[in-house]
Amino acid sequence: MFSTILEQIVNGIVTGSVYAIVAVGMTMIFGVLRAINFAHGEYYMLGTFGAWFSIDYLGLSYEASIVVGVLSTIVIAYVVGKLVMQRMVGAPAESGVLATLGIALVLQNTVILVFGGGYKFFADGYIEPVSILGFSLAQQRILILVVCLLVFVGLELMVTYSRMGKSMRAVSQNVDCCEVVGIDVPQVVLRTFILGAALAALSGVLTAPVNVSVYGGMGELITFKTLPIIIMGGLGNVRGTFFAAMILGVAESLVATYVGLQFRDTVGFATLILMLMWRPHGLFSTQARF
Amino acid sequence: MKHTSSRRAFCISTAILSLAASVPALSGLAQAADETIKLGIVAPMSGPNARYGAFSMHGAELAVKDINAAGGVDGRKIELFNADSQGTPVEGVSATRRLIDEDEVDYIIGDVSSSVTLAMQPVAEDAGVLFLNAASSNPKITYGAGVGGYKWTFRNYPTDENRAFVVAKYAAEQRGFSKFAVLSVDSDYGRSAIEFTKKYLPEFKGEILSEDYYKEGEVDFRSVLAKIRDNGAQAVIMYGLADTTPIVARQMVEIGLAGKVTLIGNGEFNTEKTIKSAPTALEGAVEAAAWLPAFDSPESKAFVEKFTSEYDEAPNNHAYVHWDTVNLLAKAIHEAGSPDREKVRDALSRIKYKSPVGEVTFDDHNQARLPMILLQIENGKPSVKGAYTADIQYPAE
Repeated sequence: MFSTILEQIVNGIVTGSVYAIVAVGMTMIFGVLRAINFAHGEYYMLGTFGAWFSIDYLGLSYEASIVVGVLSTIVIAYVVGKLVMQRMVGAPAESGVLATLGIALVLQNTVILVFGGGYKFFADGYIEPVSILGFSLAQQRILILVVCLLVFVGLELMVTYSRMGKSMRAVSQNVDCCEVVGIDVPQVVLRTFILGAALAALSGVLTAPVNVSVYGGMGELITFKTLPIIIMGGLGNVRGTFFAAMILGVAESLVATYVGLQFRDTVGFATLILMLMWRPHGLFSTQARF
Repeated sequence: MKHTSSRRAFCISTAILSLAASVPALSGLAQAADETIKLGIVAPMSGPNARYGAFSMHGAELAVKDINAAGGVDGRKIELFNADSQGTPVEGVSATRRLIDEDEVDYIIGDVSSSVTLAMQPVAEDAGVLFLNAASSNPKITYGAGVGGYKWTFRNYPTDENRAFVVAKYAAEQRGFSKFAVLSVDSDYGRSAIEFTKKYLPEFKGEILSEDYYKEGEVDFRSVLAKIRDNGAQAVIMYGLADTTPIVARQMVEIGLAGKVTLIGNGEFNTEKTIKSAPTALEGAVEAAAWLPAFDSPESKAFVEKFTSEYDEAPNNHAYVHWDTVNLLAKAIHEAGSPDREKVRDALSRIKYKSPVGEVTFDDHNQARLPMILLQIENGKPSVKGAYTADIQYPAE
């Protein structure tokens, strides 16, 4: 009994890691732009497609496909960032919703047009199971967990010490003051956006071997899972996002085991409603940041 | 004054508009003389079931191509229209409306998903369009057709009731399973197949230890598979989606279930690609299907060969049933002697059509009498264990 619960918690933490890497990008973009990026899941999808393409069509190894997947997403994110995201600085909130939803549709349907709407089979990765703590787990899941920890340590350091991290925090606090002291706000926005999209792509490529199927609509579900996480974590809060993602991952896993698989997606949406009702500023801050 | 002139302008423009509108209507009448047979296909062309849709369309296209190449049906060519249901009832209904209102089709074949087909039935009925289903297995579809209500719905596909019975019987009698876990898709198809499994399992002294349903697009089955590993089930009853089978099979390997627990039910366990994804997990899997490429009849083999040479991949069940249903419709139109929908409908209910899996006739619920083919994966290849037909016991009104 205890080992089952432990196993489910580990499962949940692995799922949470995937969510965390995607969500942290979304929350940082919110920080600098004050806009929810509804297209965020699409970068997760693009990364996965890039990797799948480089394995299936170019015959590259899985390691190389991670690089291709992330780099191709960075290129697309640069174009979107230049054309759309930079213009959202100072724009009303509804234009951000409209613009990012539009981008989501364009990206998703372009992929469906080019590669077809069917499921693709992601055949590579480290899927051999290894046994730890008395249950077995694919090596890939351990990799996801390790990468997630590295990403968050790296982000903490970046946000605290680097110039880019400091300017990101500055932009999220006061855009006008940034302009006064000479911080290039559009550039900070662009860089944050590209970083967030690249992280989403990385999460997609790392998850593809265990999720097996790759298809145009796969980003949508991730976007909707990410929403409750970034609200739970407190919009714009990097550390909070990490813990919120873990909480959601573990809760989903326990619900799937003890209540029923069909109720898994309910957890995220129920959390979203409860958070918006009682703690719209997140679990980890005492008052709203924005 | 201004008021009057705008009213006059309105009258004149209305007159011009209605004249203009009547012209295409007239030319439409003129066209009807050398009419083609307009056939609409509603299938999931995008979304999680897009692969089913692509196979369905290819099957239908192949049949239409062959019929038209041979001169059409009594000289009339078949014109094919396609509408995307995305596998959801809402989109399926609007796709059906589009085919009826804009493309003005007389016949519709669709959908793969039972939930969509159930939603399409009243739309086709209201329009008086002949609605053939080729790939949905929920029993309710023909419970409510023919004498059951919808006069324009026909189904050329065996039902879940038949399937659930055949699978349960084989699993218990031939494989000796008595403890089962359920992992099926959360849809009219997945749920009703389990409902009927529960109806028949007690006859074979089987019990269900756990019951889970997954949403379309679900990718993480580790929690459920761990539960199944611990509850001691011998087989997982899975009425699922083809695209999900490789994910489940892979995670069975990951969690150490491969070779210990057997998959039984339906969800394209038998395609080369699926087996390749996790050979150890699928070894011994039992599936009941309406058709499979390995089915041994000359017509069936000829179809597989033709389809493979045309599209560079082997057909699946959905390709076959759509190909077969287009041919069935062509035969019905030929026997009716005219493409008049009502005559074709009557011809269908009397038809004796020789399909590659056996002779097809329809009962008073417009349900085709068709066999279910049972297969088992042995040494990485599907092996046919027999074909079973059972008459459907309709619930008393």
